[in-house]
Amino acid sequence: MQQRIIAQPKDMMGILLFGTAKSKFRDEVNTRASSGYPQCYLYSDLDVPAAEDVKRLKALVEEEDDPEGVLVPAKEPASMANVLFCANQVFTTNAANFGSRRLFIITDDDSPHARDKASKASAAVRAKDLYDLGVVIELFPISRQDKKFDLSKFYDDIVYRDPAAEAGTSDEVKTSKSGDGLTLLSSLISNINSKQTPKRSYFSNLPFELAPDLTISIRGYLLLHRQQPARTCYVWLGGELAQLAQSETLKIDGATRTVEKTEIKKAYKFGGEYIHFKPEEAVALKDMGKKVLRVIGFKPRSLLPMWASVKKSVFIFPSEEGYVGSTRVFSALWQKLLKDDKMGLAWFIARENANPILVAILPSRNPDDEDSGTPAFPAGLWLYPLPFADDIRNVEHPAPPRAIDELTDKMREIVQNLQLPKSMYNPLKYPNPSLQWHYKILQALALDEEVPETLDDATIPKYKQIDKRVGGTLAEIKEEVSAKAVEVAEVVKSKGVKRETDDDDDDHRPAKRAKPAAAASKSSGVLSNAELKAAVEQDALKKMTVAALKDVLASKGLSTTGKKAELIEKLEEWVEENA
Amino acid sequence: MADKEATVYILDLGEPMADCHNGRTESDLDWSMRYVWDKISTTVAASRKTWTIGVIGLNTDATDNRYARDGLDGYDNISVLQPIGPMTMTSLRELHSIIKPSRSSSGDAISAIVVALKMIEDFTRKLKYKRRIILVTNAESPIDDDSLEDVAQKLNEFNVELVVIGADFDDAEYGFKEEDKSREKATNEKALEKLVSQCDNGVFGTMAQAVEELSIPRVKPVKPFKAYDSLLTLGDPAKYESSALSISVERYFKTKRAPIPSASTVVVRPEHGGPTQNDGDDDVQMGGTEFSGVKHMRTYRINDPDAPGGKRDVDFDELEKGYQYGRTVVPFSESDFSVTKLETKKGFTILGFIPFTSYEPFLNMGESGIIVAKKQNDEAELALSALIHALHELESYAVARYVQKDGAQPQILLLKPNPGIDDSFECLYDVPLPFAEDVRSYQFPPLDKVLTVTGQILTREHRLLPSDDLNEAMSDFVDAMDLSTFAVDEDTGEPAEYAPVDELYNPVIHRMNQAIRARAVHPDRPIEPPAEILLRFSRPPEKLLDKAKPEIDALVEAAELKKVPAKAQGKRYGGRGNSKKDQAKPLSGLDIDSLLGETTARRSATATISPENAIPEFKQALATADDDATIERAVKQMGDIVRKLVADSFADVLYAQAAEKLGVMREELIGLELPGVYNKFVTGLKKSILSGELNGDRREMWFKFVVGGRLGLVTGEESEVSEVEEEEARAVS
Repeated sequence: MQQRIIAQPKDMMGILLFGTAKSKFRDEVNTRASSGYPQCYLYSDLDVPAAEDVKRLKALVEEEDDPEGVLVPAKEPASMANVLFCANQVFTTNAANFGSRRLFIITDDDSPHARDKASKASAAVRAKDLYDLGVVIELFPISRQDKKFDLSKFYDDIVYRDPAAEAGTSDEVKTSKSGDGLTLLSSLISNINSKQTPKRSYFSNLPFELAPDLTISIRGYLLLHRQQPARTCYVWLGGELAQLAQSETLKIDGATRTVEKTEIKKAYKFGGEYIHFKPEEAVALKDMGKKVLRVIGFKPRSLLPMWASVKKSVFIFPSEEGYVGSTRVFSALWQKLLKDDKMGLAWFIARENANPILVAILPSRNPDDEDSGTPAFPAGLWLYPLPFADDIRNVEHPAPPRAIDELTDKMREIVQNLQLPKSMYNPLKYPNPSLQWHYKILQALALDEEVPETLDDATIPKYKQIDKRVGGTLAEIKEEVSAKAVEVAEVVKSKGVKRETDDDDDDHRPAKRAKPAAAASKSSGVLSNAELKAAVEQDALKKMTVAALKDVLASKGLSTTGKKAELIEKLEEWVEENA
Repeated sequence: MADKEATVYILDLGEPMADCHNGRTESDLDWSMRYVWDKISTTVAASRKTWTIGVIGLNTDATDNRYARDGLDGYDNISVLQPIGPMTMTSLRELHSIIKPSRSSSGDAISAIVVALKMIEDFTRKLKYKRRIILVTNAESPIDDDSLEDVAQKLNEFNVELVVIGADFDDAEYGFKEEDKSREKATNEKALEKLVSQCDNGVFGTMAQAVEELSIPRVKPVKPFKAYDSLLTLGDPAKYESSALSISVERYFKTKRAPIPSASTVVVRPEHGGPTQNDGDDDVQMGGTEFSGVKHMRTYRINDPDAPGGKRDVDFDELEKGYQYGRTVVPFSESDFSVTKLETKKGFTILGFIPFTSYEPFLNMGESGIIVAKKQNDEAELALSALIHALHELESYAVARYVQKDGAQPQILLLKPNPGIDDSFECLYDVPLPFAEDVRSYQFPPLDKVLTVTGQILTREHRLLPSDDLNEAMSDFVDAMDLSTFAVDEDTGEPAEYAPVDELYNPVIHRMNQAIRARAVHPDRPIEPPAEILLRFSRPPEKLLDKAKPEIDALVEAAELKKVPAKAQGKRYGGRGNSKKDQAKPLSGLDIDSLLGETTARRSATATISPENAIPEFKQALATADDDATIERAVKQMGDIVRKLVADSFADVLYAQAAEKLGVMREELIGLELPGVYNKFVTGLKKSILSGELNGDRREMWFKFVVGGRLGLVTGEESEVSEVEEEEARAVS
């Protein structure tokens, strides 16, 4: 529950204990207990949980602090039909019209009605009721040491396949191995964790046009999504309880008059004025065609540059909802792309009115494939967004001197000796430190617990290991680098002027040439360190123009803002440190 | 910061410019102005004070320039229409109104260039400027070519670029030649060409090419942004001083998504131009327009049982920031707030290395960067270069933790070596990798095998698996549609890659920009369809399709696809067809229906659907119903329950429950092809709700839940048997 609050803050949760001596359903505590739901105790009603609920549950589980005496087991086992119907009522009243409703049953009794056939049948009927209501039952069985939890005895009649799951998914019910106390709890938690995210598609029934007369239907899923800490809200502390303040936005014009919705128009700023399009024109402007994934052609994978990356990829999977036979065609394409290491190029509009992008279609291997570098992800195709020419920045930078072979060889040793575990980056091993920290603090404050001091951050390198494994080689490299650097500097110095003037782009500035400061400003953009040092010593910088100074600063990677005096000061500082 | 610019346009407004030539229906002037307006409006769009523009009219009826005022000869019919200065919408409109063909044709283009040069000289003095003169003419007026060399020399001296664009100028490179060119024009053309050739920085072109190139998107250059300028470390320099390696590096963005022009929210001024017009800061800035910007004002409300309406406004100052933890609100004081942020130190440190084979590009999370050694630092250059080459030789990536600045969220970056063998640019490229929280583990069935219910694994001969024929056809198809050698290199004529990344323009950005510019210059013209070049990659090239026709046909045949008719597509559950009996079974396959049979027999004896368990009982009643009467009875009972819920509801407490039941009714009845029954009920319900029959004002139920939840009449589109048309359904809403 603690995890769920963090993972799905808007979800409602309730806890129903069954097989308890006491019975409780809503307010009618024990008044008509026998007539209501005997041996069922609605510990907390279905609602978005509050911190108090978590505290209460925590106290119950961890400290066995049980003021209500709910943990006394009943002598008679509860009737599962009653339990299920009780859950049915909770869902009907508190979560009407919800998209996803799930019932987790946690039990170690694989056969609650071993002898009573009628109870078993009525439980099955109640389970069907829940199914018809759209509630998915998920079972978390706990085996005891001596005997295995046998699903066929009872629960196979209760649990249905998740209707939202694709056909063919193996819906095995995993059995938690029983231990006792803590291990049991934690194995339960991890089990629930793995089932947490409901599968939601990003788009469905999208036409995938392989060729003009060849279309199949696909669904898209976002398997990657950058998680951010929840947004802050504003709290009013004036009352007894902290209260959430609802914000409301009013639109006002220049004269602080409230603007009605019908008056609002959309316009584009242009040259200090607004350019307006009529609504139908605006629609026409945005219209780039219907939603589609249309193949333009195929290329070898090697033609995808490493840096061509702008956005996370979308996972696509075939669905038979639009075209029967989609799955086999999709599978054939997937196999071909994998086999020949090719990628598709396609025009992609995810939804009506979405902006079109161009994507590369890339296959992912089966997670159990030994060659797969991505066992955390399923097999299928990915739509990898390509950057537009508009998105590419050109970084100009002179090529540095090529490395010396001995250095490279030493460095190879290091690379070989510092492989990540299993020679791969498995994202599941690296939780986001800032997110984890945020949740920890939030939880601690909400539950009045102690604020943790440190965080176990998996993204910090194992320095000790690095030192142990390659420390010696690294030290050698360091020495050699500084030795070689001196050598290179000597060489560069002798050719320095030539190298520097190669990319002198200021030749076409005749006006400057005639000036007395010609010596300084001639190759103004790229003074070599030595020249610059000389200039500083001779106090020649003052004679340079602001523009020339800025060029010099930029060439040294320094900021070019400020007045002339500040610019000169910056340069002088730099020279002192570097030259 | 971009460089300062000073550009002077010399526009030939002479009488011959009003004529149409070479089969065009536009006059030379209008045609040429397409180019000029596009250029000028691009400058306006940039809204830069340092990008200045001046305009000179050549062959104007009047004469207005300083040389003529000084009494010099040869400067007649040249007018300065706009002195050099920043360009605004107002000046654009003014300019628009005075660009008209004149009745004279004796102005000298060279003299106009001299005037322009003087303007630039006076304006830019010795400051750092990009200077440019753009001459647009059809060269029908006489040119005095005595002083060409002097002019060229002066242009070079002031470092001015000269661009001459002429209507129907001959251009061998572009492949244009005017056949019936007058002798005079030919001479003038020659003279201008000669002038340009003597300039250090000159362009001479024909108008047809210039206009054609307008549709090619211009990518806005962005200066590289340095995101990080510090050390890349291997090991911990603080703890293992002797062994930890530190390299001074700089990191720039390599890709950054260019923003799509966004619209602002505006209102038409209440009293346009009236005396009460507000003179706020915003308006002065936007001077003279009929629109004014809209500001947002936030108010905050809390529940207060004592206040009228149960709510009251609170001052922003009374509020504190906080986070929600479930239902509980956790307030955070300023000091707490800093605690929730993980304390991080700026840094870039390598975690380890992985081989190329263990990473797939679809794993990355977004925009890439580029890492180079710090400039003028030989040690850093050597060390980084060694790392790059070692990685390259071992085909490995480095994985590193990156904190852009103190307190920023750490990121995991993948570093790929680029040894600069092809492009002589030695660097590391980086892309962000996901964290554990960013990965959603959804389950998918395998694509190359099928697990049957009995636990068998099939790898062939199943309707979901491709046959050998299909695999082969697909393979041939993919090979036939290859793009890697489809295009032709313009320079060498060698086969080249079709659609490389740097030729992909963002269609939306350029479409919007073109339309906005067009609208600014010609407010009355309708918008044009998108330029062909923007949609070039929206479909495969025709030539390729023709070439691959046999492979496509073979694939279509092997695929045997069948389109699913619209109405059979399941609305809610993917595979759930009409034969529910296949689906509604628990894992054991136990036949619940027979069990139900007994209980429903019991239930239908009393023949009521209980309000507590309405939905399942309703569904089951329909599933076992044999005749329409049973169904109608069930619907009636269900309807009564809905009505009762609405009537009993305290405020809106029970509406959601009622709506859910309505939704189930609707769906089930569509499934049974009895939409009429539902439509009848909903019409009745509406009447009851609106007439206030159901215990007071229940309008909210109707509008928010029924209309808003799309629970209105079933139309012919959703169910073929429904007789209700779309409009009718809307009318009932």
